[in-house]
Amino acid sequence: MEHMETYLYIALFAPLVGSLFAALFADKPKTLTTGIVTSVLLSVSWVSSVVLLIHGYHGETVHVKMMDWIHAGGLYIPFGFVVDQVSATMMFVVTTVSAVVHVYSIGYMDHDRSFNRFFAWLSAFVFSMMVLVMSDNFAGLFIGWEGVGLCSWALIGFWYHKESASWAANEAFIMNRIADLGMLIGIFLIYWNFGTLQYDEVFAQVDKMDATILMMVTAFLFIGAMGKSAQFPLHTWLADAMEGPTPVSALIHAATMVTAGVYLVIRANPLYSMVPEVSYFIACLGAFVAIFAASMALVNRDLKRIIAYSTLSQLGYMFVAAGLGAYWVALFHLMTHAFFKALLFLGAGNVMHAMDDELDIFKMGGLSKKMQWTMIMMTLASLALAGIYPFAGFFSKDKILEVAFSTDHYLLWAILWFTAGLTAFYSFRLIMLVFFGEERYKIFGFHPHEAYRFVLIAMSPLAILAVIAGFFEHDFIHMISHVLPIEEYHVSHTVFWILVFITQGIALGGIGLAVYKYSHGGFSKKWEESFIYKLLFNQYYIPQIYNEYICKPYAELSTILWKDFDMKIVDATVDLIATSIYKSGMASRVVQSGNLSNMLRWMGVGLLILLIAAILYSPVR
Amino acid sequence: MDHILSVLVLFPAIAGLLGFVVSKESIRAYGISVATIEFLLSLWLWFSFDASYPGMQFVEVLPLIPSFGISYYLGVDGISLFIIILSTFITLIGLIALSVKKDIKNMIISLLFLEMTMVGVFVSLDAILFYVFWELSLVPMLYIIGAWGGELRIYAAIKFFLYTFAGSLIMLVGMLVMAYLYHQATGIWSFSITEWHRLILPMNYQIWLFIAFFIGLAIKVPMFPFHTWLPYAHGQAPTIGSVILAAVLLKMGTYGLVRLPLPMFPDASVHMIYPVAILSLIMIIYTAMVAYAQKDMKQVIAYSSVSHMGVIVLGIFAMNPEGITGSVFFMLSHGVVSGALFMLVGVIYDRRHTKLISEFGGLAQVMPRYATVMGIMAMASVGLPLTMSFVGEFLSLAGFYQVSHTMTILAGTSIILGAVYMLTLYKRVFFGEVVHEKNRKLNDLDGKESMALWTLVLVTIWLGVYPKPVLEPINTSVEALVSFMHKKAMTSEAKSVIRPTVIKREAE
Repeated sequence: MEHMETYLYIALFAPLVGSLFAALFADKPKTLTTGIVTSVLLSVSWVSSVVLLIHGYHGETVHVKMMDWIHAGGLYIPFGFVVDQVSATMMFVVTTVSAVVHVYSIGYMDHDRSFNRFFAWLSAFVFSMMVLVMSDNFAGLFIGWEGVGLCSWALIGFWYHKESASWAANEAFIMNRIADLGMLIGIFLIYWNFGTLQYDEVFAQVDKMDATILMMVTAFLFIGAMGKSAQFPLHTWLADAMEGPTPVSALIHAATMVTAGVYLVIRANPLYSMVPEVSYFIACLGAFVAIFAASMALVNRDLKRIIAYSTLSQLGYMFVAAGLGAYWVALFHLMTHAFFKALLFLGAGNVMHAMDDELDIFKMGGLSKKMQWTMIMMTLASLALAGIYPFAGFFSKDKILEVAFSTDHYLLWAILWFTAGLTAFYSFRLIMLVFFGEERYKIFGFHPHEAYRFVLIAMSPLAILAVIAGFFEHDFIHMISHVLPIEEYHVSHTVFWILVFITQGIALGGIGLAVYKYSHGGFSKKWEESFIYKLLFNQYYIPQIYNEYICKPYAELSTILWKDFDMKIVDATVDLIATSIYKSGMASRVVQSGNLSNMLRWMGVGLLILLIAAILYSPVR
Repeated sequence: MDHILSVLVLFPAIAGLLGFVVSKESIRAYGISVATIEFLLSLWLWFSFDASYPGMQFVEVLPLIPSFGISYYLGVDGISLFIIILSTFITLIGLIALSVKKDIKNMIISLLFLEMTMVGVFVSLDAILFYVFWELSLVPMLYIIGAWGGELRIYAAIKFFLYTFAGSLIMLVGMLVMAYLYHQATGIWSFSITEWHRLILPMNYQIWLFIAFFIGLAIKVPMFPFHTWLPYAHGQAPTIGSVILAAVLLKMGTYGLVRLPLPMFPDASVHMIYPVAILSLIMIIYTAMVAYAQKDMKQVIAYSSVSHMGVIVLGIFAMNPEGITGSVFFMLSHGVVSGALFMLVGVIYDRRHTKLISEFGGLAQVMPRYATVMGIMAMASVGLPLTMSFVGEFLSLAGFYQVSHTMTILAGTSIILGAVYMLTLYKRVFFGEVVHEKNRKLNDLDGKESMALWTLVLVTIWLGVYPKPVLEPINTSVEALVSFMHKKAMTSEAKSVIRPTVIKREAE
C-alpha cells in the first residue's frame, strides 16, 4: 500500500512543481522549456492518476493524512487526501484534459510574450483542482475551491491589458465569492453540528442528524456549488470568462472547474440523499438552467460564448441527475462532457487562431477546406454533445433522461428532452456557419490555416475519448458502485426503446434543421428583429440588470456613505466636539485677563459658589 | 536570561538614546542592527517559551509604588507572545524598507522608541504600566506623522493624538475605579491585571467599567463610529508610520479587549455581545463600502484595514476558543498583510509622489515583480486559503457562528466586499494599458524593498500553510482564558454563552 501513497503524492504535487518552475521564469521572455517541463510533469501526474484509478477499480481506496493544518478549540483540520472511486475518476478527467491542454497550449500560446506566466498559472490551476477533488474534508475542498477561483481569475484576465478581460476576471472572482460565502456558512454549520469537517466522520453521523440542520447544510453548500458551476442566477460570469485564452476555457470553464459544484453534490451525496426537498430543488434548477442556457446559445454569434452556454446547459443536466439521486450518472456525464467539451473548445481555439482571434461565426464559413482535421474533430465533439449514438454523450445524456422519466419527473424529462433538440441545433448551427457554406471570411481578408500537426495530435486523445468513452459505462458502474449508490432505473423494455428513439429523433431533427437552414442561407432578417431574438441575444437582459441595479447602486451608495456620511456626519461630529471645546476655551479665556479687579470679582463668584455648595452638601445640617 | 522581557522593553529605548551620538551616515545600519537584535531576542523568547503552559511566563515583578500596589509587573502568555514578535518583526522590516531621506536620524530614533512602547504595552501586566506604555506610544507616532507627513500632517497628527488620548483617559478612569473596588473588596491596593481578573463584581459595576474600558480600546481599534481619525492619520503619515500604525498600534486595542474587559467582566462582556457585534458588523460592511469609493490607493488600504479589524472584534466576542484564537491569529495576519500593503503603496508613492488610483493603470507590464507581490498580498487581504489571513478570518467567523447565524452571514460579506474593493483597486492600478507617460519608465522593486516584501510574503504563506507553531500556543492560552471566564461568570446567561472547548476531540 505504501507505493499507492507515493502515487497519490506524485499525482497531487507534480503540477505544483511544474507551476513553481514556470513561475520562476514568469517575467522572462518565452522559453519553450517551461511548456515542456509543465507538460511532462502533468503527464507524470496523469500516469499516477491512472494507476490510482486502476487501483480504485478493484475497490481499494487510498487515504493519507499529510500534516496538521488548523487546530483551534475543538476544530481540527488536517491536510488529508483520499482517493476513492469518485476522486479517482475526477483525477483522471482533470489530468487527462489538463495534459492535453498543456501540450495544445505550447502551440496555441506560441507567440504570446507571457508564455511562461501562462504555464505557471495553468499548472497551478491543475494543482488546486487536484486539492479540490482529493481532500478528505470540507475545509480542504474549500482550499482547492478558492485556489481554482484564484487561477481562474488570473487566467481569465491573462491578457490584462484588455479592459474586457480584466473586468471579466473580477466579475468571475467576485461572483464566485458570493457563492463561497454560502459554502463557508455550510462549513460552519457542519462544524458546529457534526463537530468535524472530515467527510467520513460527517457522513457517519447523518442518520442521527436533525432534518432542519441537514436541510440548511445542504442548501448552503449548494449555494457554493451554484457559484462554481455558474447556475442561475450566478451564471453571467461564465460567458464573460470566455475572454481568457481558449485553452483556459477548455480546461477550466468547460471540463474541470465548473464541474466542481457537481462534484460537491456527488461527494456529499450521503447528505443530499437525506434531504429530498433540496435535491428536488437542485434538479429543477438544473433543468431550468439546461433550457435557459441552451436558448441563449441558439442565437449567439460568438464562437466561444455559444460553447460556454452549451457548457452551462450541460451542467444543468448534471445537476438534474445529481438532484434526482442518480449521482453516478451525474459523474458519468461530467466525465464524458469533459472530453467532448474540451475537444470542442480546443477546436474553436484552432479556428480562432486561423481567423486572427475573430469570434463572430458569421464572418467565417467554408473553413472545412482549410481546416479539415479541426472540422472532423469538432463535428465529432458536436455529435457527442448532441447525444447521437454511439458517441460518448449518448450514453450519459440518455441515462439522465431515462432517470428523469423512470422516477416520474415527466416535466423535467420533457424539458431535458426538448433541450436535447436545442443542443443538437445550436451545435450544428455552429459547425455549419464555421466550416461550411459560403466562404465569408474572404470578404474580411482572413487567411485561415490549419493548426500545427502536434497540436492536432495532442487533441486526438480527447477525440478518441469523445467517441468511445460511453462504452465504458458498465466498467464505470462496476467501479463506482463501491462508493455511490447504484439504483436500477426500471422502465419496461418497450418504454426504454421508445425513449431512446424519440430522444435520438429530436437530436437528429435538430441537426437536420440546422444543416438544412444554414446550407440554405439561414434565417431571415425578420427573425433578428423579433422580440424573442433580442431577448435571447441580450441574455435575457440579465447582465444589464445586474449592472444597473446592483453594481451601479453599490458604487453610488459607497460614494454617498463616504462623502456624505463618513465625512459630513461622523467625522464632522468629532470635529464639532473638538472645535466646541476649543471655542469655549477661547471664550472663557477672558477670565484670565490679568486685570486685578476682574480677577477679584471672579474670585468672589467662586467663593460664593463654594459656600453655597458647602451649605447644600454639608453632612451636618 | 532571567530578565528577557525587561531587556526586550529597554533595549530599543537605550539603543535609541545612544542613537543620538551615532553619525548620520551610519544611523541606518545602526537602526537595522538594533532592530535585528531585538527581533532575535523576541525569537529567543518564542524558542524558550513553554507552549504547553497556558499561564504567564517570564514573569518579572518589582514594586514601584507599594502603597498603591503599583508595580513593574511583566509577563507573556500565548496571546501576547506573538504580538510582541510581530512588533519587533514589523519594526525590523519597516526599517529595512525605510525610504525616508529627510532627518533620517530622528526618524530611526523615534522608531526605536516606538518599538519600546509597543513591546511595553504587550508585556505589561500592571494596569498603570500598561497605561503608561499605551500613552507613550502616541508620542513617537505623533512625531512621525507631524514631522514626516503630508500636507495636512499637523491636523492629522493632533487629531490622532487627541482622539486616542481622550479615549484612553476614559479607560484610565475605569482603571482607577477598578483599583478602588479591588481595595474595597480585599483591603489592599493593587493594579495588577492578573489580580483584577480574580475580582468578581456585581453586574451594574461590570457594565459601567466595561463601557469605560471599551471606549478607550474601541477608539484605538478603531471601531465605528470612532474610526475617523484613522483615514487622516494614514493619509498623512509617511509609509513607515502607516505600516506600524496598521500592523501593530491598532492591535493594542484588540489585544486590550482580550486582556482587560473580557476576563475582568465576563458577564458584562456577554451582556454586551450584541451591541458590540452590531458595531463590528457596521464596521465590516460600511467601511468595506467606503473603501470601494476611495480614489486614493492608501485610503483603500486604510479603510480595508478597519473593515478587517471588525472581524477581529467579532471573533473576540464569540467567547469561544475558536473565535478568540482566530482573532488573535488574525491580529498577526492583519499586521503582516496590511503592513505589507501599506509598504507596497509606499513603493509606488516613492516613485510617483502620488497615490491617486487614476494616475496609474497597466503597471503589471512595467513593474511585474511589484505587481506579483501586490497580487499575493491583495489575495491574502481578500482571505484566500493558504494565506495567513484565511486562518484568522475563518476561525473568527467560525467561532462567531456559534453566537449568531444571521450575523455571521452578514459579517461573512467581508469576503465578498473585500474582493470587490481589492480586485477593483488591483485592476485599476495594474491592469489595462499604460496611459500615463510617467508610468512607462518606473523601476521595479529595488533590493531593500524586495527583501522586506518577500519576507512578508514568505511569512504570509508559511503561516497560511502551517499555522500550527503559532496557533498552538495561542490556543493553549485562549482555552485557559475561556474556561477561566466560564468559571468566573455569575449569570447563567454568561455561563451558557462562554463555552470552553465545546467539542472534545482527539487530535493527534
